[in-house]
Amino acid sequence: MQEVAVLGVGLHRFGKTGDGIVGNKSVTELCRHAVDMALKDAGVSWRQVEAVAAASSRFSGGKGWGLNGNDVVEDIGSTGIPVYNMSAGCAAGGNAFNVGYSMVAGGVYDIVLVVGGEVMPKGMIQTSGNEEVTDPEFLRQRCIGFPGPSFWATLARRRMHDYGTTEEQFAQITVKARKCSVGNPFARFQKEVTLEEVLASPYVSNPLRLFEICPVSNGAAAAIICSKQKAREFTTKPVWVASSAVATMTFEDSLPRGLAGPAPSGPSFHTEAKAAVSRAFERAGIDPKDVSFTELQDNTCYYELAFPEEWGLCQPGEAERLVAAGETTPTGRMPINPSGGFVSFGEATTAMGVFQIAELTWQLRGESGARQVPGAKVGLAQTLGLGGNATAAILKR
Amino acid sequence: MVVEGETQVVQSSEPCVAGLFVTDGGAKVLGSKCVACGTPYFPKAAHCHNPACPGSRMEPCAFGGRGKVWSYSVANFPPPPPHKYDNPFKPYAIAVVDLDGGLRLVGQMVDPPEAVRVGAAVELVVDTLYHEQDRAFTSWKFKLV
Repeated sequence: MQEVAVLGVGLHRFGKTGDGIVGNKSVTELCRHAVDMALKDAGVSWRQVEAVAAASSRFSGGKGWGLNGNDVVEDIGSTGIPVYNMSAGCAAGGNAFNVGYSMVAGGVYDIVLVVGGEVMPKGMIQTSGNEEVTDPEFLRQRCIGFPGPSFWATLARRRMHDYGTTEEQFAQITVKARKCSVGNPFARFQKEVTLEEVLASPYVSNPLRLFEICPVSNGAAAAIICSKQKAREFTTKPVWVASSAVATMTFEDSLPRGLAGPAPSGPSFHTEAKAAVSRAFERAGIDPKDVSFTELQDNTCYYELAFPEEWGLCQPGEAERLVAAGETTPTGRMPINPSGGFVSFGEATTAMGVFQIAELTWQLRGESGARQVPGAKVGLAQTLGLGGNATAAILKR
Repeated sequence: MVVEGETQVVQSSEPCVAGLFVTDGGAKVLGSKCVACGTPYFPKAAHCHNPACPGSRMEPCAFGGRGKVWSYSVANFPPPPPHKYDNPFKPYAIAVVDLDGGLRLVGQMVDPPEAVRVGAAVELVVDTLYHEQDRAFTSWKFKLV
């Protein structure tokens, strides 16, 4: 295994179809912007890219099966390079990064482009496309009607029961997230919100409100990664990939993902997320206490409380106090989502895992402006995707 | 059916998806259980998914009766298709229930969302989910006891 560096990153600012940010741009146009930016940032020419790891989805794209890297390569210039399309729901960007990383680390390629982008359909994500009684997701939506926000709201409600978390404490996390987004030119929302405004927004799924759940967005993200040897040719200050890991949920996982499962005797949590993050720590030889900041998948603010505890970044039941004390802000002891997170960006599914790599890279270079984590040395990124997918990556300088 | 001289339209009702649950003799969902390791399944599984199971031996098993709400949420907006509902949309609670029989089952509550609590005792029932062409389509749900 050889060391892998992140050489350059790029984003297209996130927005909503028809707005002044993304207008009616296709996913290919969004990706082209992000890839151009990443190539320039890396000082790499398109012809030097040896392979593409793309985060793939069924939501949009020229060939009708969602974003695939082939569209991006055709658009930028068909050089005949191999394209790997990774489908893992909202974890696809993280998966693509892992595959790109693994191939460079294994010496298969020296320079790889990792890319994800999305033009999302409006409204709540429709998880089941076909009316087939053998499809458990169809049964869940037809027989119950249990959309994504209600899944998150069920976890949030249980935390309220276990730890006495209040609706104000959930709202406080959105206030923090949006404050971070003010300095971020790539965030869809770049305005602060007050606690009162969050609490005045309607419930999407009680106890979670509109401002506490990420909307769907259009956007794209790209990263150029390379071997240690190549990195020396392009830069004197590379950002290193300390580890990259992927996991799926285990049989013991008792979260309500389908219609039913065995009633557990212990706690219920995202086993795939904990496994991916634990593996990333183990492989990097880095302890949770050494993490300068974390970019985690906050589809809802609930995860900013639960995940740091589940991964050992803080003690169980401690997260509310840390949020209240400002410890999760960029200048706190445990900064979470200095980018503003999904709540400020909205979710462009396949872009998210790569967007996190871009934020980690800028933070570790000290280029994050108002949202900079002072002296950031180690960053943790984590994604979660439908089907029990999770990824984690640790970057360091 | 004629009741006191008035003609009453009796709506026929049928399951929203056939073969998943029964009402006769008490509401039950039709699943299976591995007799080798005791893992319950709904809907029916062809073989056991437990990686620690010594050897899959599946038998049909119906689950019903009482349980406790592990947690719940409210659908304040109509979910996207393929969900179906009657207009005007009425917010409903969705409960995740640990049934006494060892199955953790998700289902709508028939009770109003304000009445539901974590830890509340509930029982499995079959109730109307939506109407289409004068027919009622049913699903399994939970009711506070």
